[in-house]
Amino acid sequence: MRIFLSGLRKLVGRPASFVSVGLLVGLLGLIVIASATIAQRDESTAAARRALAMVTFPGAYDLILSFMLGLGGLVAVIYGAAIAGSEWSWGTLKNAVARGESRTRYVLSTFAAIAVMVAVGLAITFVLGVGIAVVGASIAGVSTSGLTDADTLARLPALAGRGWFSVVEQAALGFAIATLTRSQLAGIGAGIAFYFGEGFASIFLPDIIKYMPFAVARAAVDTGAGGGFEGGGNGLTEALTPDTALLLVGAWLVGSLVVAVAFTERAEITG
Amino acid sequence: MTSPGALALATRGLRKSYGSRLALDGLDLSVPSGVVYGFLGPNGAGKTTTMRLLTGLLHPDAGAIELLGRPFTRNDRQRLFEVGALVESPSFYPYLSGRANLRALAAAGAPVPKGRIEELLELVGLRERARDKVSGYSLGMKQRLGIAGALLSDPRLLLLDEPANGLDPAGIVAMRETLRRLAASGKTVFVSSHLLAEVQVLADVVGIIARGRLVREGPLESLLTDQGVVRVRLPVAATERARNALQALGPVDVVDAPSVPTNDSVEMWLAIHVEPSRAAEVNRTLAEAGIFASGLESGTDLEMLFLELTGGEASSEGRMQGIGTPDAKGTTGAAS
Repeated sequence: MRIFLSGLRKLVGRPASFVSVGLLVGLLGLIVIASATIAQRDESTAAARRALAMVTFPGAYDLILSFMLGLGGLVAVIYGAAIAGSEWSWGTLKNAVARGESRTRYVLSTFAAIAVMVAVGLAITFVLGVGIAVVGASIAGVSTSGLTDADTLARLPALAGRGWFSVVEQAALGFAIATLTRSQLAGIGAGIAFYFGEGFASIFLPDIIKYMPFAVARAAVDTGAGGGFEGGGNGLTEALTPDTALLLVGAWLVGSLVVAVAFTERAEITG
Repeated sequence: MTSPGALALATRGLRKSYGSRLALDGLDLSVPSGVVYGFLGPNGAGKTTTMRLLTGLLHPDAGAIELLGRPFTRNDRQRLFEVGALVESPSFYPYLSGRANLRALAAAGAPVPKGRIEELLELVGLRERARDKVSGYSLGMKQRLGIAGALLSDPRLLLLDEPANGLDPAGIVAMRETLRRLAASGKTVFVSSHLLAEVQVLADVVGIIARGRLVREGPLESLLTDQGVVRVRLPVAATERARNALQALGPVDVVDAPSVPTNDSVEMWLAIHVEPSRAAEVNRTLAEAGIFASGLESGTDLEMLFLELTGGEASSEGRMQGIGTPDAKGTTGAAS
């Protein structure tokens, strides 16, 4: 528990935490405001109708979630890799081990803190995203009466929970990759390459790629809204059902953590 | 050799390889309790590998480690609860303050008493800068924070790798006093260093390692007494006669330091391996042979012992730091 709480304190003070949320909110804000502006000027074209949907509730909820969980996955890979990689690059894992701390406990507690930070980050992004969409609706001159749509609000918590789980899985993947590379930069680089590589590979190997970590994460939170930020080639894959995908998300999450723990336990810590 | 019961740290036949390169080749250390132990060796001799093995960062290929009288193996990480360590350069989260870094460190391993962090910040002189981010600290400040980190759990055994790195002279003196005080209170301080002059004034016991093996270990005083030396500066032309005259006193070495040109001759140093207390006898012997030294120094020289035992494989850095630094007796060591 001490390591977990300490991990949370470290992440709260870490610039990467603010940058990650800031990036998500900033991009979401830009897209929503741009959509509102387009919708305000012209309602006749298909692009304008899509832009209008971005600021029209309750559909805007799904679009915001879709965007968050799409780009959020990439941000999570980078975030997980940055945290795990820096423990090796900065030598702070060495400090803990030399104090007699359990390597497994240290790794798992650090990741648990990341999972909590992901939840907080997603919640902040969602709340701010909805706020920005309300402002966008006002700019576009659209009613916000759908904001309190009971059906949508009822299914949001479950969708958000699945979304959080999926983003955490992607953070775990980055975490495991950076642990294997023992480096912040190498971990981030490899994580990004894996993210986009999987997307592009889905063009050629759709039946395999649909079981891969990023594809299952997307399938687990498929809102049907589209519009998310996703790796290349996505959409060509015939996705799994959300429930099957969620099971695979769990498997990838556990697998990533097992790899990170096993590698750390066996690693000879130098430098 | 100290009796095994009184050892704070012992290694037996410790071996470690990195691929095909053998870093430690059967290291046998015996570190008595309640002393400052200076662990010396040229670069690449295996000092840092030893430190990493002692702190569980690496796993030995063979051999055994005992910490505070009990075996330390892969599954005994809690033995490290009574050990404080600063291995290699101090490592911190750069975006956190010094105080927050110590708090983060305190969350791992043995519990840390309340108030201990403030006490240590005061001890290492960082209280005023404790709220500043570590990224803005100088190397010396990071080193002091690292020493504070090593002391967090009030350890019975302290393992420090080059603790004087980056410290200013006042910082070195303060660190030395702190370590001496810790040893006086019954704790054991194991210091790995290549600063021979620093070890000479700090350590009670030294171990010298070369090519992964221990080549000498024992109380510093007795090692230095065995290694006593008297140096005389003479005209080059007189050295052969002096060598003959001094044969009766002990083995005479010509020091391979640069000769010293004076007005009418070129001078050089001769080193005579005799107890430093026989300096007057050396001077008298030379005078009786009609040779008059223009300089005479007596003392003990850890550097000479070190170079002799390690086969002169000290790095250029190590040599530079040994030259011209006063030894325990206050003389200035000539290059050897």
